[in-house]
Amino acid sequence: MSDYAIIGKRMPRVDSRAKVMGKAKFTADLKLPGMLVGKVLRSPMAHARILSIDTTKAESLPGVKAVVTGKDTEGVKWGVFAYTRDQQFIQTEKVRYIGDEVAGVAAVDEETALKALDLIDVEYEELPAVFEPMEAMASDAELVHDDFPNNINVHVNIDTGNVDENFAKAHYIREDTFVAAEESYFQAEPYAVVARFDHEECLEIWCPNGGPHMKSKPLSNAFKIPLHKVKVRKIAIGGAFGGRSEICPADYICALLAQKTNHPVKIVFTREENTIATRQGHSMITTHKTGVDKNGQVLARETTCYMDGGAYSSTGPIATSVPFLSMEQAYRMGSVRYNGYRVYTNKPIRGMIRVHGRCFAAGLDTQLDLIAEQLGIDPVEMRLRNSRQPGEYTSTKSYVSSCAMDETIHKAAETSNWKEKFGKLPAYHGIGIGTNSVQTGFPMGIRGGSQSFIKFNEDGEATVMSGVVDNGQGNDNMLVQIAAEELGLLPEDIHLVSADTETTSSDPGSYSQVSTFVGGQAVMVAAKNCRKKLFDVASKILEVAPDTLVAKNRMIFVEDDPEKSISIKKVVRVSLLNFNSVNAEGGYWPKVDMKREWVKNPYGQMCEAFSFGTTIVEVKVDPETGQVDVLNATACQDVGKALNPLVLEGQFEGSVAMGGQGGMLTEYHEWKDGRCLNSTMLDYKVPLACDMPEISTIIVESIDPKGPYGAKEAGMSIAMSAAQAYAAAVSNAIGVHMDSFPLTPDKILAAIKEKKAQETQAETAAGGRLN
Amino acid sequence: MEKIRITLDVNGKLCELMVAPNDTLLEVLRDDLDLTGSKESCGEGVCGSCTVHIDGKPVRSCLTLALEAEGSKIKTVEGLASGDQLSDLQKSFINHGAVQCGFCTPGMLMSADALLNENPNPDKTEVKKALAGNICRCTGYAKIVDAVAHANHPHEGCPDCLPYCRSESKGEE
Repeated sequence: MSDYAIIGKRMPRVDSRAKVMGKAKFTADLKLPGMLVGKVLRSPMAHARILSIDTTKAESLPGVKAVVTGKDTEGVKWGVFAYTRDQQFIQTEKVRYIGDEVAGVAAVDEETALKALDLIDVEYEELPAVFEPMEAMASDAELVHDDFPNNINVHVNIDTGNVDENFAKAHYIREDTFVAAEESYFQAEPYAVVARFDHEECLEIWCPNGGPHMKSKPLSNAFKIPLHKVKVRKIAIGGAFGGRSEICPADYICALLAQKTNHPVKIVFTREENTIATRQGHSMITTHKTGVDKNGQVLARETTCYMDGGAYSSTGPIATSVPFLSMEQAYRMGSVRYNGYRVYTNKPIRGMIRVHGRCFAAGLDTQLDLIAEQLGIDPVEMRLRNSRQPGEYTSTKSYVSSCAMDETIHKAAETSNWKEKFGKLPAYHGIGIGTNSVQTGFPMGIRGGSQSFIKFNEDGEATVMSGVVDNGQGNDNMLVQIAAEELGLLPEDIHLVSADTETTSSDPGSYSQVSTFVGGQAVMVAAKNCRKKLFDVASKILEVAPDTLVAKNRMIFVEDDPEKSISIKKVVRVSLLNFNSVNAEGGYWPKVDMKREWVKNPYGQMCEAFSFGTTIVEVKVDPETGQVDVLNATACQDVGKALNPLVLEGQFEGSVAMGGQGGMLTEYHEWKDGRCLNSTMLDYKVPLACDMPEISTIIVESIDPKGPYGAKEAGMSIAMSAAQAYAAAVSNAIGVHMDSFPLTPDKILAAIKEKKAQETQAETAAGGRLN
Repeated sequence: MEKIRITLDVNGKLCELMVAPNDTLLEVLRDDLDLTGSKESCGEGVCGSCTVHIDGKPVRSCLTLALEAEGSKIKTVEGLASGDQLSDLQKSFINHGAVQCGFCTPGMLMSADALLNENPNPDKTEVKKALAGNICRCTGYAKIVDAVAHANHPHEGCPDCLPYCRSESKGEE
C-alpha cells in the first residue's frame, strides 16, 4: 500500500455540496442584465436547396431584436480537421438533415422569439435524400456533399500484412455480420449557451463543453478575433459522454446574435433539439471474418464496417477508427485488415460517444463465442488465449506498457462464479462475458498537452489553475485531490480555477478520456514544483536538507524526525517576507507519435496508456415476452491506479447503465424519412433505477509507468465491455447468437421462435429416420 | 396574456407575484423567484428533474401551473437544508458519491425526501420504486439508491456511511 494522504481515498467530491443545495449554476440558470432569448430556425426537410429566405416580417415583429441567417456568417465552416470542415454554422445553399440550422432570432422573450421563427419565410427546393449508408453509397445516389463521390466521407484502411497467408493457415474460419442502430447521449442537461460581447469586444460565453479550449479556437476563427478575446467561462455541466467536445452551431449563432444586438443572449435547447441537433451515435454494419488455429488463437482477422455518419463529418476520421482500435488493443489478432467507411446521409450528425462501436465490439465478442463453441473452448478461456499482454505492440504499432487484462478476466470470472454457472444454468437463463480496451488520449497535436499554474496565498491556501473541464465525472475533485496530495494541504485549502480560457492554459479537454492522465498530471507536476519552493524555504528554517522533508496535513516536517516541523502557512509568509513568491507552473505532454494520422498514417504510438476491462452479466429471458431481467453485473477494470474509488465505482456503475442496460437492451433511434421518431425522453428509453441490476465493481491497478500515480482511463471501457457482456448473456440464455443490436424483445422473440422452428424441423427429420 | 396576482408559499416564505395563467410552477420558480435548483430536462413530465413538494407530495413542477399551487406549501431543493446545515439526506448523497453531473440531483433529492418522510427506513426495492420517475444518466443509480436507503439509518459495512470529514466543510462551486 502507498502512503498517500489523499490519493486513493474514498473522498466525497468537492462539487457535491453546491449540487445538493441546488446552488450549482448550469448554463440555463444564468441571468445577465438585458439578456435576450435566442431561438434557432431549423430545416423541416432532410435534403433541400435553399432558394430564398425572407426575414422582413420576423424583423418587424415587436420585441424581435435581431434575425441572423447564413448571409451573416461569411460562410465559415466547422470540422475538427482541415479536411473535415464541411459544416456551415448557418446554411446558405443547402440543408442536409431535418434540424439543420437555417436562421437565428433574438427577442425579448421566448414567446416572441418563437413567433418570429414562424414569420421567417424560407423557400426550399426539395432534393432526393439518402437515409441508409448502403443506399447512400450506390452509384446513382444523390450526393450529400458534392465533392464526396458515393457519399463516402472517410475511408480508413489498416493492413498489417500477411492477412491472406494467415487465413490460409487457419484451422477454422468464420465470417459474420452484425448491425446496430444509433444511440444518443441524453445528457440530463439539455444543451444551452449564453453569450455576450463585453466592453472590450471580447466574446464571453458559457455552455456545456468537453474542453473550453476546444470551443475558443473555432469561435476565434469564426469571428476573426484573437484567441484572448474569446473567454469561455466555467459553468456546471450536466453530462457530456463524448457529445459536447465540439463547437455547436448554436454557440456561434448565440454569439452572433449577441454581437448584433449588443445584448447578452441565451439559447436553451428543447430536449428534441438536444437529440437531433447536437450529435448522435453512429449506426453500424460490421462484418468480422476471423481465422483461428486449433487452440482458438486468432491468426487473421478482416473487418469491414460501414457507419452512418449523418450530414456532416468533423470527427469522422476518429469515429471511423476508434471501434477498431479498441478491439486491436483488447485482443492480439495475428494479422489484420480493416476497412472502415463513414458514409454521409441526410440524417443528424454523428459524433463520438462513450459507447461508440458497441455493435462492432459486441459482434467481435459474439463471434469469439461462436468460435469457442465450435472448438469446445470456454468463453473465458477463449479470451485469455487472445488477450492483450503487457510489453506488446498493438497491430497499429502502439506499445502497451501497463496491462492487466488477464487479471480483470480472472477476477470478473471468479466474482461472478463463471465456472459454476456457464453451461449449467436453467433454460432461458444465461451468462456472458465482454472484454474491451480504451485509449487514454488521442494524438491531439498542438492541444495535446496541458499546463497548470499554482499560487500560494498568504493564508497558506493555494489557488490551482487548470484548463481541465468537469462534465460531471468528477474532474474538479480529481484536480483538487492531486494538488492537495502534492502540496501537503487538505482538499478544502485548494481553490480551483478551471475550464476558463481567459485564465487557464491550453488543455485537450475531457475528450478522449485524457483528463487525469494529461491535465491531472500537469497539476501534479506544477504542485511538485511549487512544493519544491516551499521545501527550499523550510529547509533553511529547519536547517535540514530539502530532500529530507515531506508535506502533509498543512505541515512540512522532517520525514525521519516528524517533531521537527513548520506549518505551510508560516513557510509561505516567511517566503513572502523574503521577497519570494510561492507559485509554480507545470505541464504534461504525452509522448505520442505526432506522425500518426487517422486516415493517412494510422500507425505509431496512439497514446501512452490503455485501459483494459471485463464485464460479466447474468440474465434471465422471459420466452413469452422477450423481456430481459438482468440478475447481476460484475464490472472489473484495470484503471492503472484508483485515485478515488468512490468516484471510480460511480463511473463503472454509470457505464453498466449506459453501455449495457440501455445500450444493449433499450436504446436506439427510430426513423421515418430522415425524421427521428423518438427524440424525447418519453420515447427514447434510458434505464431507470428499477431497471438496474446489482453491480459488483472490481478495481484492478496495474500502475501505469507514465500515468499520474499510475492512473489511466476509467470512464469508457466498462461502458463498452458491458455492452458486449449483455449481448453475450442474452445469446447464452436463448441459445441463439444475436447479430442485431440492441436486443429488443421483438428480436429476442423472433430468435426464440426461429430456433424452436428449427428444432421442430430437426426432430421431425430425426423422427423420420427412426421410423 | 393578462397576468394575475398570486401568493405562493415557497420554502416557508410568502411570495407575491404576477403570473400568466399558462406559466408553469417551474417557470415561476426559476424565472421569477430565482430558485434555479429545480431543473428542466425533458419538459414533459418524464425525467423528474423539476420535482418539488406540494404539501409534502412530490410533483412535476413542469406539468403544474403556478396558479394551481396557490394556497399550498411548496418546497424546493433550496428548502432542504436549514441555512448551512444540510439535511441527513443531502449529506448522504455527498458521502455516498450519489452526485455526478448534479443536474438530476435536485429532483432526485425531492423524490427521495418525500419517500423518507413517509417511510424513514426504506429498503432498496422501495427506494428504486420511489425514484422510478427520476432519470439519472450518470450514476447507474447504485449510489443514489444506497444514499437514500442509508440516509436515516447508517448501514454497518457500508464504507460511505462513515463519512470522510469533508462533507461538513466548505464546498466548492
